[in-house]
Amino acid sequence: MFFNNLKQLHGTVYINDIWCKGCGFCVQFCPTNVLDISPEFNAKGYHPPYAKNPEKCHDCQYCQMICPEFSIFVTKDNEIAKGEAEK
Amino acid sequence: MTKKRTGVFVCHCGNNIAATVDVARVAKEMSAEETVVYSQDYVYMCSDPGQNAVIQAIKDNQLDSVVVSCCSPSLHEKTFRDNATRAGISGFTCEIANIREQCAWVHKDRDVGTEKAIKISRSAVRRAGRNQSLEPIAVPVTRRVMVIGGGIAGIQASLDMANAGLEVLLVEKQATLGGHMLQLSETFPTLDCSQCILSPKMVEVSRHPKITVMTYCEVQEVSGSVGNFKAKILKKPTFVDPEKCKICDDCTQVCPVVVPNEYELGLTARRAIYIPYAQAIPASYTLDEDACLGLNPIRCGKCKDVCEAEAINYDMRPETVVEEVGAIVVATGFDLYGQENLGEYGYGKVEDVLDGLQFERLCSASGATSGHVLRPSDHKVPKDVVFIQCAGSRDPAQHCAYCSKICCMYTAKHASLYKHHVPDGRAYVFYIDIRSGGKGYEEFVQRTMEEDGAIYLRGRVSKLYRHNDKIKVLGTDTLTGQNVEIDADMVVLALAMQPSKGTADAAKVLKIGRDKDGFLAEAHPKLKPVESVTAGIFLAGAAQGPKDIPETVAQAGAAAAKVIALLSQATLSHAPTVARVRRSHCTGCEMCVTACPYHAIRLENGKAVVNEVLCEGCGSCTATCLRAAIEVKNATQMQVFEMIEACLA
Repeated sequence: MFFNNLKQLHGTVYINDIWCKGCGFCVQFCPTNVLDISPEFNAKGYHPPYAKNPEKCHDCQYCQMICPEFSIFVTKDNEIAKGEAEK
Repeated sequence: MTKKRTGVFVCHCGNNIAATVDVARVAKEMSAEETVVYSQDYVYMCSDPGQNAVIQAIKDNQLDSVVVSCCSPSLHEKTFRDNATRAGISGFTCEIANIREQCAWVHKDRDVGTEKAIKISRSAVRRAGRNQSLEPIAVPVTRRVMVIGGGIAGIQASLDMANAGLEVLLVEKQATLGGHMLQLSETFPTLDCSQCILSPKMVEVSRHPKITVMTYCEVQEVSGSVGNFKAKILKKPTFVDPEKCKICDDCTQVCPVVVPNEYELGLTARRAIYIPYAQAIPASYTLDEDACLGLNPIRCGKCKDVCEAEAINYDMRPETVVEEVGAIVVATGFDLYGQENLGEYGYGKVEDVLDGLQFERLCSASGATSGHVLRPSDHKVPKDVVFIQCAGSRDPAQHCAYCSKICCMYTAKHASLYKHHVPDGRAYVFYIDIRSGGKGYEEFVQRTMEEDGAIYLRGRVSKLYRHNDKIKVLGTDTLTGQNVEIDADMVVLALAMQPSKGTADAAKVLKIGRDKDGFLAEAHPKLKPVESVTAGIFLAGAAQGPKDIPETVAQAGAAAAKVIALLSQATLSHAPTVARVRRSHCTGCEMCVTACPYHAIRLENGKAVVNEVLCEGCGSCTATCLRAAIEVKNATQMQVFEMIEACLA
């Protein structure tokens, strides 16, 4: 527990499987490696991403920015209680 | 070649040599040598009458070369070469035969010792027989100094040299000047605030017209020699322009990354963009490339968006600059011996086991807790604190064999500070001995024991473990012979000092030696304590050995004085015993070029050419040349063969 009470910012990733066409940009570019390609298929027959390490998300929203299909977005966690600073 | 006229002078060195070597016989045997026209022995050749005898003999007998059989050339070579010069012949025609360290001191048998002394002297006579008269080479001097390390040692040395008119380049690896001293809360034995006495000096350094401060920079390569070094310095990108930064702190408010703050030793966290301390110099933020989400304005870019001064620039790249300096002061300081090496004191397993520097930050008014002593795990005031001295020091079996010198004093200071902060708390100190040599030091320790009421227990801690919300500390009080068990709230380890990682790097870059513990090696433990073995490179501070602040400041001043003395000469004289190329034999194979550790040889029109200023006469080139086309003056192959022959005869 740090003395200056700095908290790591956390986010939650939401993925809209139906719109995804499996380009993998989000997986490739996530700076903290939250995402990975899912072995599952979506309705279109593509492999959508899934949040492999959801706790690593820092709410940078880069995936949201680069997704060509608008099928991923991030919300900021306000739940500070569990959001204690990471080491 | 006309026949040489050599004089041989054999020294008794009191009984040092005469006890094992029959000096009179050595002198007599030498007189039988073909080139020797004069020989004598004398009780102390280095005494004034002894030296005068040498000068007189050179004049009276028209000697053109001299051999002095005495102690190591590192001691009196200069004395006798000066005598030769005073008598009117070249100093470089004088050779020293070391019959003390390499003969008298290592033998017991007088006959064997005498025999060996004769051989050593004879080989020196043969070498002198082919010595040339040489004159020292005058080398121009660059009147600039580079100081590596911006702690108190580097700061003090820089100030002293700059005030004497030298231009100083102060290179610091971290983002701010100050080093470890800036992390301390109070200093023993006067308990004055460390930052309050250091920050005026830091400000003076940063404002001094003669000093260029280069923070966040590392020295990568150094070439050249005394008077003319060339240093390649890497400027790491901070991604923030210190000229534009207004220190408004807007960037840290929006940065989403949190990592432990190394300047507070992990007690607090910082953002990827940060300023180490409020007093940091230069006063500017630094963007930690590793922690940042990627220096990409699309990816994050929050800090850049809010920076009104437009000081943040993600496109900054590392930059290398080459600086020419005449001398270098190495003040790379210390690190604490890693707690991870001390598994027995519960590192990584037991919370609230701190090291000395962390405790400093807890006590410091500018520190993690604004000067309230709280324990990290639950932020409560600890009521029982155990201080363990010699954690890692004086333990040759497992850790460092040496005494870290300052731990007794800083533990006394910690105990005293703790009692001032928490008057109803109890401070226990486990110690082996109290070493408090220094002005006012012993009185300070006594005051901590008697007035502040710290409880000193002579003995070591055998084990500690977490027990509910306490730390159970088991140890022995060897004065009463009883086992001690303390339920402590916090444990502070007085970890050993070890040379910093930067010290190891600097030693490698500068090619200077280190001792068995990794500290920088001085040229002579008593008489050259601030010089490194390489001319023109000086040592200051804890990089050379554990020391406290007063000693560090004194040594920094001493190093500065040495640099000033060196660089106040119009030219430096360089030994003329340098490599020479026989152009007719040289095939331009470049083997000597690669072998030369001083980069003194280059190829010109297909033949090797020696830069006499850079050449140190080490002979690596001679050893690699297949055609004997390059050799060192006054250590030619002919001379070496004759010396070997003289020894084997």
